[in-house]
Amino acid sequence: MKGDGNGNGHLVMDDVVIEFNGFRAVDGLNLNVSRGELRCLIGPNGAGKTTALDMICGKAKPSSGIVSFEGIVLNNLEEHAIARCGIGRKFQVPSVFRELTVQENLDVAYCKKPGILANLVRFGSGADLDSLEKLAELVGLQDYLETPAGYLSHGQTQWLEFALLLAQDPELILMDEPTAGMTAQETKKTADLFLRLKGRHTLIVVEHDMGFVKEIGEIISVMHQGKLLAEGSVEDIEKNEDVRAAYLGSGGISGA
Amino acid sequence: MSSRTLRQVIVYAVVCLAILLVPSFVDNAFILNKYSRYLAFGILAIALSLSWGYTGILNLGQAMSFGLGSYCMAMALKLRTVPVHTGAEGLPDFMVWNNVESLPWFWQPFHSLPLALILGIAVPVIFSALLGWFIFRGRVTGVYVAIITLAVLVVVNLLIIDQQRFTGGFNGITDLAQLEILGLTFDAYGSSSYYLIAGALTVCLFLALAITKSKVGLILQAVRDHEERVRFFGYDVAYFKIFAFSVSAGIAGVGGMLYTIVMEFASPTFLSVPLSLSVVIWVAVGGRQSLLGAAIGAMVVTGMQGALSESEVFLDTWSLIMGFAFVLVVLFLPKGLAGAVEAIYARVFGNGDKGKSDREKTQAGPAKPAAEPGGAE
Repeated sequence: MKGDGNGNGHLVMDDVVIEFNGFRAVDGLNLNVSRGELRCLIGPNGAGKTTALDMICGKAKPSSGIVSFEGIVLNNLEEHAIARCGIGRKFQVPSVFRELTVQENLDVAYCKKPGILANLVRFGSGADLDSLEKLAELVGLQDYLETPAGYLSHGQTQWLEFALLLAQDPELILMDEPTAGMTAQETKKTADLFLRLKGRHTLIVVEHDMGFVKEIGEIISVMHQGKLLAEGSVEDIEKNEDVRAAYLGSGGISGA
Repeated sequence: MSSRTLRQVIVYAVVCLAILLVPSFVDNAFILNKYSRYLAFGILAIALSLSWGYTGILNLGQAMSFGLGSYCMAMALKLRTVPVHTGAEGLPDFMVWNNVESLPWFWQPFHSLPLALILGIAVPVIFSALLGWFIFRGRVTGVYVAIITLAVLVVVNLLIIDQQRFTGGFNGITDLAQLEILGLTFDAYGSSSYYLIAGALTVCLFLALAITKSKVGLILQAVRDHEERVRFFGYDVAYFKIFAFSVSAGIAGVGGMLYTIVMEFASPTFLSVPLSLSVVIWVAVGGRQSLLGAAIGAMVVTGMQGALSESEVFLDTWSLIMGFAFVLVVLFLPKGLAGAVEAIYARVFGNGDKGKSDREKTQAGPAKPAAEPGGAE
């Protein structure tokens, strides 16, 4: 019962369906992402992109079909168990620990040993302090280590979230609209960061900003009404008639 | 150890030392007994601060653990009373009156004092761990936790009142022996009991502080801030909450055991709804995100209550005054007394403290980078 019938079995969604009170938000989705890939997931509002991410990270449970990662079926695992498999998630709504300082946020995210006893005898940040500081520097928060996250601006909060994911260091990173509310400069910085992560991590990025998608995407999956509509390179997708009809309009990707 | 932690440890130590020194200046048995009672309430407040202030679990049934600890101690001391008060083979008097013929099985372990002391902590811990398992594995959160814990408290309270034959019912368990450990006798009105309770308060305070300063403490606070997010980092949130809930119950149990020693009885009022809700007020007044603040809040509020209700001037109005004081604190000191002290400290020594001044710099905001437009949306 493993979903590795096709492809290499890194992340596989095999005929996945999720139903909310009779409404099929995702309806027979097939997705196959290989290790180290940067996959963009696009589609009009309500296409089921966020729900697809929810089913990978365990926030929502598929009604049928199989979601598997490295051969492990994720369907019935709890969120924390899925996270321990090496899957991390950035949410659309900024979600950091507002009353904790930036450094404490990073410390929580760094969770090589998630048990209670191991953490009960751990005080301070110990040996990891340097690497956490380097992370803060990477996202430009090195001067805010002692600042409660609640005081950060929206943009800084987004960057803190990236840093949290990097501290967690998951194999597979799920990003839900990472550039929402960012300036053009910040979007560029984000694209650079993603390109650096590619290869070492597998990324699945849900995004609306087509310029951004063009910059980072190699393979794009287009979702429409809970199904996979098309999959391919930026050029393929731009040429695809179905995609144009459903989503992009006559201007193609660049015009959207 | 960060400078903030060091400062905290020093402040905690100084306050505990001051509490331990009180009997050197107070030589009145009645007053010492009263202060001992306040200290026991202080321990109860520390327990709630740990679960409510640090983990975000508003346990309205905190008095249940306090009461269970209290009854465990009372059962042990009841079995040690001199025979003149008890029936054949040391059967407690109220059992004789209720036609109970032999000591029920759950009273048997309390013949052993060490076992009784362990049970005073273990019973509330195990009970809370079980309750917590259902609540937190079931992902019950927020106000529903408050309702469930309150309801369970009422059930346990009614059960104890109802089972008069085994628990003494409304009257509770009275006529207790004095606690004797290693030849030391703890007289309710002597300084020995006061030292015992002050010592226990110190231990509980530093134990709780150590937990909050460990990474577990950090994760608990993260759970309080954003429970859902913590799960996606790979932590099993339910276990962390059950842990905090149970440790908190154990500390409350210690408070209850000590309270029985100074009150010389156990009563269903020790696990009543009014007491349980009072704890929330103490902790709110003291500052729920400060263990020491919560403990001091309990002592200040119960102390004021005692002083006002004893004075003739306020005989009729003391509860009104207490209510008014509580409203003032909630309105003007959202972080309680502890928050107020910290704010004053930050204002006076603001420049010398790096962590604090950093926070203020960000609040003032001139150094903020240009990456702002997102925030304006």
